[in-house]
Amino acid sequence: MMEGQINGHDYDVIVVGSGAGGAMAAYTLTKSGRKVLMLEAGRDYDPKTETPMFKSNFDAPLLGAGNSDKDFGFYDATVDGGWEVPGEPYTKGEGSEFLWWRARMLGGRTNHWGRYSLRFSEHDFKGFSRDGLGADWPFEYWDLAPWYDETEALVGICGTNTGLDDMPDSPEGVLQPPPKPRVPELLVSAAAKKLGIPTAPMHRAVLTRPKDDRQACFYATPCGRGCSIGAAFQTTTSLIPMAQATGLLTVITDAMVKEVNVDEKGKVNALTYIDKKTKQAHRLDAKVIILAASACESARILLNSKSESHPNGLANSSGHVGRNIMDSTGVSYGAHIPALEGRPKYNEDGHTANHLFIPWWGHKMQEKKAMAFPRGYHFEIGSGFRAPSSWVSGDLDGYGKPLKEITKQAYGSYVGLALRGEMLPNDDCYMEIDEDVKDQWGIPVVKFHWKWSQHELKQVEHGLKTARQILETMGAKFDKPLPKAEDAILKGGQIIHEVGSTRMGDSPTESVTNQWGQTWDCSNLFVMDAGVFASNPHKNCTLTIMTLAMRNSTWLARQLDKGEL
Amino acid sequence: MSLVKERYSSKKPYLASLSRRDAIKWIGALSVTAAFPGLTACSSQALAPQSQLAKGHWPQLDLPVINATGYGKDPNLIIAPRASWPRTLTAAQLTFIAVLADIVAPREGAAPSASEVKVPDLLDEWVSAPYEQQQQDRVSFLHLLAWLDEEARRRFDNLFVDVRASQQLAIIDDIAYKKAMQSEEFVRSAKAFADFRRLVLACFFCSPAGVKDIGYLGNVPIVGDYPGPSDEAMTHLQSVLDELGLTL
Repeated sequence: MMEGQINGHDYDVIVVGSGAGGAMAAYTLTKSGRKVLMLEAGRDYDPKTETPMFKSNFDAPLLGAGNSDKDFGFYDATVDGGWEVPGEPYTKGEGSEFLWWRARMLGGRTNHWGRYSLRFSEHDFKGFSRDGLGADWPFEYWDLAPWYDETEALVGICGTNTGLDDMPDSPEGVLQPPPKPRVPELLVSAAAKKLGIPTAPMHRAVLTRPKDDRQACFYATPCGRGCSIGAAFQTTTSLIPMAQATGLLTVITDAMVKEVNVDEKGKVNALTYIDKKTKQAHRLDAKVIILAASACESARILLNSKSESHPNGLANSSGHVGRNIMDSTGVSYGAHIPALEGRPKYNEDGHTANHLFIPWWGHKMQEKKAMAFPRGYHFEIGSGFRAPSSWVSGDLDGYGKPLKEITKQAYGSYVGLALRGEMLPNDDCYMEIDEDVKDQWGIPVVKFHWKWSQHELKQVEHGLKTARQILETMGAKFDKPLPKAEDAILKGGQIIHEVGSTRMGDSPTESVTNQWGQTWDCSNLFVMDAGVFASNPHKNCTLTIMTLAMRNSTWLARQLDKGEL
Repeated sequence: MSLVKERYSSKKPYLASLSRRDAIKWIGALSVTAAFPGLTACSSQALAPQSQLAKGHWPQLDLPVINATGYGKDPNLIIAPRASWPRTLTAAQLTFIAVLADIVAPREGAAPSASEVKVPDLLDEWVSAPYEQQQQDRVSFLHLLAWLDEEARRRFDNLFVDVRASQQLAIIDDIAYKKAMQSEEFVRSAKAFADFRRLVLACFFCSPAGVKDIGYLGNVPIVGDYPGPSDEAMTHLQSVLDELGLTL
């Protein structure tokens, strides 16, 4: 894109970011006739030509194993990112551990995400009202429900209605049929049932029926690589091309936004970005700006946008920008299941992730204050006859034929339960700008502070005990005691569900945006990524990011119609 | 015996799949027969007294640092780069690894041996890679090879690859089983062998022949809905459920 041709005034809205929030905002606005300019900090990316479909680990360097260049393995879709981005560091406060996953590519992290797409429940939006912790959302589930319906229909979600309080039903005909469960999942289901714990078909943003230009899943090649046929949802095969088809979307890649600029009255009127190819800074006039650069990147832009009228950073009169950061809790516990050794082989790839999972079953008990921790979790099930990789499981001993026999018997006999739980915000978990460190573009970097509270540790302790019970019911034997929660819990950021850094609310002193993602301080500045989450229910954030972006950019379009902005 | 005839040794080196440029380098190294000539010569001269050996010897290799760069954060995923960093194993080390890898995963009926599916080449790629895990493995594996040579010299007065198969196995028998982990004499070599063994198996089972051998049936496109478990798999599951007293 030639920068010389770009005049910000030609666009109704500038969207920063092309992931779940940015792409949905751009799609919604262009569909309602608005001209949109999208800035993406990473390179252009086309899943149709770049996805390593069907490639085997044998064809990859190091059997596809992960390393500091490709943290999630050679074939992971993430471009120019991962836990570290060269030239774009982040720092951590003393005693804090935090990991920040970034992708520098069109479509952002939607190119490789797990596609788990569970609605938040009625109770999820009103946690503070229930237990006095964290914050309520500034609306109710039923305000959002019609937008979940539309988002699910647009994105394409497979799954079923279960009637469980942890999984609100979708209207008839919205969900696509889920794939049949596999053997280890059925065994987990039977064991959980004996313990009074439910299992349910996972909801995933994977097509089991064709839709628009996207094909149905053919049940091969892991979704984390991206999906050249568009079955596994990513914005680069759906929302972005659909928005481009309107003729109203312009995309500039390699555009790293540095700050949002204001006029002498403090009103947002421009933004400044660095063209990564030329290293030149450009200023674009702007009528309305939507930040959707990811929760922590959007908060970083705001904190770096200091001016006389906004001395603590833009939209930060509340002091809440960068605070209230939450990730999901995470811990994994697994075992070899002797009864699954040497079981009959069949193609167990399926849609390459959970067909069944364990939703949270303890909400009613928590409502009665009958549990030692206030918020819920779910278990994802890891199992199956997987493509051979750089790791071989089994209790290996000896060599030669007997050794190979151990490996073959153990193949497909491991079952792991991965907990994903709700975290509460606390004063020790926040980000600020590290004034001493700048990235290679001259932009001051983020400094993270992190500490789990007892709420998370008690939840993880409960999860570990429960996982062990389920695995023991399946016949697993353990000779070691359970690890302590504080040792087993994964690091902050490691589940890549960071939210809350620009939270929404009813009060300009307790939140950064109103319920529409519109910042309290600047009427023409919006946030439409997970930064606006008031809480972080355990159900994976992406579906709700997209739903909020659709709802809030629809509202934004109406304000433009009314001449309100 | 055909098995003995096929075995690699100093005189029957493993032939790596090499690029033309690497091949020239490799020919230059052909004259070197031992994996660690300097080291083995030194240790055979100064054979430690029996009391010291009881605690177990462990070589101290001074390995040059790998300072190559990796394949980066945006490699071509369609045509995967397989030569991003130079290979570092010598011809003798590759032959050594071929011998050892074939002890771990020998030819078995229709299933080829580890060296037949080029596991030594994969291990060369692996230990030469400039990443943390691979560098740890490099140190561990090269010390294992040096230890095996020391041990072969001590027991049978020759290089490991040049002693008889039964003599090789006599040494491997001491480090390949769990009991070795409890032995002060063998714990370090046993740990290194365990890591080597797991990686050799991984390489083998990733190969097309290995995929067949382990019975992975996925990575094929399915038209229509995912069929789910086979009847046979469901029958087996039912027997498991019955045994555990569970119901679906």
